[in-house]
Amino acid sequence: MTSAPTPLLAIRGLRAAYGKIEALKGVDIEINAGEIVALIGANGAGKSTLMMTIFGKPRARAGQILYEGRDITDVPTHEIAHLRIAQSPEGRRIFPRMSVAENLQMGADSTECTDAESEATLQRVFALFPRLKERYAQRGGTLSGGEQQMLAIGRALMSRPRLLLLDEPSLGLAPLIARQIFDAIRTLNRQDGLTVLIVEQNANHALKLAHRGYVMVNGLITLAGTGTELLQRPEIRAAYLEGGRHG
Amino acid sequence: MTAKPATGITSLLKTAFINALIALVLFSLMVGIRTEAGPDGQLTYWTRFGELASLVGAVFGGSIVIELLRQWIGPTSAEKLVPPAVQSGMSFIGRYLAPALLIFTVLVPVIFYDQRYILDLAILVLTYVMLGWGLNVVVGLAGLLDLGYVAFYAVGAYSYGLLATNFGWSFWICLPLAGILAAFWGVLLGFPVLRLRGDYLAIVTLAFGEIIRLVIINWQELTGGPNGVSGIPRPSFFGIPLDNSDEGLAARLGIEYSPTHRIVFLFYLILALALLTNWVTIRLRRLPIGRAWEALREDEVACRALGINTTTTKLTAFATGAMFGGFAGAFFATRQGFISPESFTFQESALVLAIVVLGGMGSQLGVALAALAMIGGFELFRGLETYRMLVFGMSMVLIMIWRPRGLIGHRAPTVYLAKAEAISSDLVKEGHG
Repeated sequence: MTSAPTPLLAIRGLRAAYGKIEALKGVDIEINAGEIVALIGANGAGKSTLMMTIFGKPRARAGQILYEGRDITDVPTHEIAHLRIAQSPEGRRIFPRMSVAENLQMGADSTECTDAESEATLQRVFALFPRLKERYAQRGGTLSGGEQQMLAIGRALMSRPRLLLLDEPSLGLAPLIARQIFDAIRTLNRQDGLTVLIVEQNANHALKLAHRGYVMVNGLITLAGTGTELLQRPEIRAAYLEGGRHG
Repeated sequence: MTAKPATGITSLLKTAFINALIALVLFSLMVGIRTEAGPDGQLTYWTRFGELASLVGAVFGGSIVIELLRQWIGPTSAEKLVPPAVQSGMSFIGRYLAPALLIFTVLVPVIFYDQRYILDLAILVLTYVMLGWGLNVVVGLAGLLDLGYVAFYAVGAYSYGLLATNFGWSFWICLPLAGILAAFWGVLLGFPVLRLRGDYLAIVTLAFGEIIRLVIINWQELTGGPNGVSGIPRPSFFGIPLDNSDEGLAARLGIEYSPTHRIVFLFYLILALALLTNWVTIRLRRLPIGRAWEALREDEVACRALGINTTTTKLTAFATGAMFGGFAGAFFATRQGFISPESFTFQESALVLAIVVLGGMGSQLGVALAALAMIGGFELFRGLETYRMLVFGMSMVLIMIWRPRGLIGHRAPTVYLAKAEAISSDLVKEGHG
């Protein structure tokens, strides 16, 4: 994988902190258009913080976030979603009392899409996750965990993003359901050309899916490489794969 | 219900004993000791252990009976208990309840034309329906717990009262102004509380309600302080006064004057205002802003990630709710002809909030029914005198036990698939998988 001239998202020397506790200590990441990039690391490494910092909550203390060459480090959180960056946050965070339809509509509301575009996106989401179509009128809170994850991704897709940030999409899901989610992400990348940054603890799955991967330890990127390269590194195997019950 | 029903005589007696003990502690001072001022002003007291013992005994026996009944009936669900025929009847009623209620409300002045008391009560109920619907935007839709709603009611009432008495402006000019001023105060309250939620928000809004009231009491030159504002003009029928003069509406129409005309006019005025509130709320719910309010209630972090500006969303919710409160306040002022700070105490806020919660947060019909039950019920129990509050409180507790989500907990979705092929949410039980 040769890197393109301007990456879709470039993060340079990013620092972020919660009060006095520094969660990101100078992170450098590049994501090229059309790539799936996996970010793996243990609990508390700062993976989710990186996701949130891209969205401006918390604000970066130092460093730069460049999206399509434009500095978005200080853009207000709600405006970032208008730049066609979408996020499926950790813990899914769907709207439990609202119907599946309304949850999806919420994703489209903040964009400037025409009705026809929204309708096309909706059909695309249904094609990816037929379960959502079955459950269309149900309240979000009545869905199973896997369906809620599908809804969270579907909701993010409704804003027709160029870059999709996924935070732990396989968290708490049965292996079969997690596989469905990963398959859908792969389909989105191959067929729709969607660029994806995926944060995962399930390193094996994520690295198999991703073109490239980064390993994060204590707020710093310690390793980078293609997915297959990283999978073969003995330290990765020891730290993230064989210790767990994956593979 | 996941708790296993405890069986056996020991646990039964234990529960009853604990309940009796609680009753003993509670009633020992309330019932056990009777105090009264003696002939020379000194405090005399005597004990009433007999009454205390009988009360505690009643609690003991009662809890055994309740516990036995619970074990005898066993864990049942509503579906089993209610026969299908009744259920289908209920859904039939549910579908036509709102239109039937509306038609009945429109006909109230016709049916009860001679009963001034009922007309006055109906106006009062409708005022609270409107306040409930207004607060519903803030509490039910946006999920912002507001304990100071009466502040906006007061702002609306004083706006109209002062503008009308000082400048002689007509009701129809002052009404939108009252709404705008109240909305302005809503935004003003909204700014400092943007970062607050739940209990903290409730405390600040509670304080805000009190601040407005205290300002009204103390700003004597403007508001008249505790004396209030009197001589507030009655509303006119678009410029034609509703009185016994030659210029009055009755004279112009060539019918005999009756004071009831004004009451009927006020009735339709508040009905129109309430329906306007309802219509706007229903429309807003189907627009992105209304959906954003509801989403904000559910999950603020997700809202931000979806590109919703949470600041403006919260402020518009506060402003919209406050505006309707202001309209209701202006109506209140013109109806009473006199306003004073006494009308805008915390109790009003609590009452309106109770109506919203009792009605089922977010349900328009539920709020209307709750206002009818609360205000109408309160009047209904007037004959019980001292026991009125007791009966009232007890019925509220019972409703919250049976219907913890309010009278109408069902929430109608606002987005539909072009072709209805999905199954209804009513057929599926809530679970957290």
